[in-house]
Amino acid sequence: MWQNIKELYRYRSLIAALVQRHLSMRYRGSLLGFLWTLLNPLCLMLVYTVVFRYYIRFNQVENYTIFLFCGLLPWLWITSALTEGVGSVVASGHLITKSMFPAQVLPAVAVLTTLINFLLSLPILFLFMLATGMPFKLTLLALPGLIALQFVFLFGMVLALSSLNVHYRDIQHLVSNILTFLFFLCPIVYPASSVPERFRFSLTLNPFALITQSYHMLILEGVLPPLSSAIYLSAWAVLCVVLGGMIYTHYRESFAELL
Amino acid sequence: MEALQDVTTGDRAVIEAAVRPEQVSYSLDIVGVSKQFRRNTVVRAGYTTVKSSLLGLFLPRKRAPRRVTRAIRDLTMRIPKGASVGVIGKNGSGKSTLLKLISGIYKPDQGTIRVNGRVAALIELGAGFHPDFSGRENLYLGGVMHGLSRTEIDQRFEEIVSFAELEDVIDDPVRTYSSGMFMRLGFSLAIHTDPEVLLVDEVLAVGDAAFVGKCKEKLAELRRQQRTLLLVTHDLESVERWCDEVLWLEQGEVRDRGEPRRVIDHYRQFIEKGEELELMGEAEAQGHAAASDFSLQSEQLESSRWGSREIEVTGVRLVDHRAEGRLVFHPDDAAEVQVDYCVREDVADVVFGIAINRSDGLVAHGSNTDIERISIGRLGKRGHIRYRIKRLGLSEGLYTIDVAVHRQDGYPYDYHKAAVSFKVRSALNFVGYTVPEHSWSFDVAEY
Repeated sequence: MWQNIKELYRYRSLIAALVQRHLSMRYRGSLLGFLWTLLNPLCLMLVYTVVFRYYIRFNQVENYTIFLFCGLLPWLWITSALTEGVGSVVASGHLITKSMFPAQVLPAVAVLTTLINFLLSLPILFLFMLATGMPFKLTLLALPGLIALQFVFLFGMVLALSSLNVHYRDIQHLVSNILTFLFFLCPIVYPASSVPERFRFSLTLNPFALITQSYHMLILEGVLPPLSSAIYLSAWAVLCVVLGGMIYTHYRESFAELL
Repeated sequence: MEALQDVTTGDRAVIEAAVRPEQVSYSLDIVGVSKQFRRNTVVRAGYTTVKSSLLGLFLPRKRAPRRVTRAIRDLTMRIPKGASVGVIGKNGSGKSTLLKLISGIYKPDQGTIRVNGRVAALIELGAGFHPDFSGRENLYLGGVMHGLSRTEIDQRFEEIVSFAELEDVIDDPVRTYSSGMFMRLGFSLAIHTDPEVLLVDEVLAVGDAAFVGKCKEKLAELRRQQRTLLLVTHDLESVERWCDEVLWLEQGEVRDRGEPRRVIDHYRQFIEKGEELELMGEAEAQGHAAASDFSLQSEQLESSRWGSREIEVTGVRLVDHRAEGRLVFHPDDAAEVQVDYCVREDVADVVFGIAINRSDGLVAHGSNTDIERISIGRLGKRGHIRYRIKRLGLSEGLYTIDVAVHRQDGYPYDYHKAAVSFKVRSALNFVGYTVPEHSWSFDVAEY
């Protein structure tokens, strides 16, 4: 486990180069290029706003657009990290079978690339808040902590899933389906407060829900999430990394034969 | 999971890439290494699905005998620093698996592999290159993958590019490169990573002649610098020229090992024997063995046999100087074609002919009793003809022999196309198809 992390540090320049390559690859040949990083969440936001605000007439939340955006951004990071990450080892099979390639770099690259996209789109949220005159809460200072926690959580998860995916290619299909599920089980298009009390536990137990909810709290409500959920989320993050590391180590040796 | 554990039972292998000062005299230390592959990884797409393993939990398990292919069996060898070792063997004998084990791509099931120093594996050149990136970007990325730091690549950049002769296009995306340019970049990068141990898998077989020459020079230079070289190739000549030692693998085991000349000769003999058996098998399958009786299966041979059969060729044999049937010869060997005939009707106008064709259709030799003005006496009812060849004088290749009996004007009594096939094996790669008896001498006119 510790060995894996040390290896990751050793290959930091490789990771940096690959992240750079992924980022520049993503929009190479497209006219708007980097702008797509911003346009993607904006389009989604537009659609959801129209549907939920005007069609369904959901009006429990003030500034619904900003509320939506605030939950949507971390969610988009989750989906992009998981969908890109789960196939990352398989997609780079040629590297693993033809050269001695540190495979744990690949999930790290997937999570990092999507993190950078997430970070780049955060300023739009702040711009929106400025434009509508929403106050910036002091709790924003805790945001890096939340992002770090989410990063560790996602990395562990992607490490495990991408390793399993080499043996069981169903995983990647499974992941995209489960994510559709999860989207509606997380407070993104609705606030946690609108969920009936007796179902609230499903939000507190679901780490993904906890993540999006924490963003709402830190950015919009100016409240720190309760210590218990911080601990719970950290436990998930640690569990994921440890488990992911174990699964990766267990399967690593057979990668070259199966790819 | 269970299946995987089965595969990796035994001692977990340890690969230590660090330089150990007390062991510097050995570059490679391989002890008792075995590697096996599960058969189903080859037969099926290679991975199990959640569905099938879930089903496996509930359904009564029909335990199929676990099929494994043992790619490497209990291999032990030490390669001293600076040695060049050639690895030879037929396809599937475990050569590439061995290289992949040494480079760390595969992990051994049993045994240990110790490598002292950086390994550069020239297994597939430019494996990590991304087509949409320029040569420059790819060199930096690839360099990092080979374990170089950015500054190290900076220092070597010019040298790598000039060796690959790609100065003009280094900023173009590599998808615009020809395959030769791609290979040059990959080779140049790998060779400039300052490797202690070089694993070369058949890569010199590609690329244009000029660059291959340059690569060989570079490898020679690295050899002089006491780098260790492991060469996997089917090109026995280069092995003989390059290597201090040769390892012959056969089904994952060391069949022979030692001085190149001796091991290669041993290997050649083995290959020829195998080919001979194979040719005989083929011949039998086609219905005409080296010594066959054509009258028995004349029907099935219609396509390769024609004529009015006043006189019939009933058998053709190819034998060596000891009159033993043989199908693989050397250029210097003697051979004899023995033809059995049978006369059905008395005809006066009879010519026996023979032709040796190379597999690509080239007529290597042809003659008949008319050309050579051989007078045929009484043929009787049946008999044999012997066509003695003192020295074959053919270069390496696959040949067939046509045997015919016909009239002077060409009207065929019995014509057998490709009655016998044989192979010529040569240690030397002559150009052309004939190898006349020859020698070289030098007379210096002035000192």
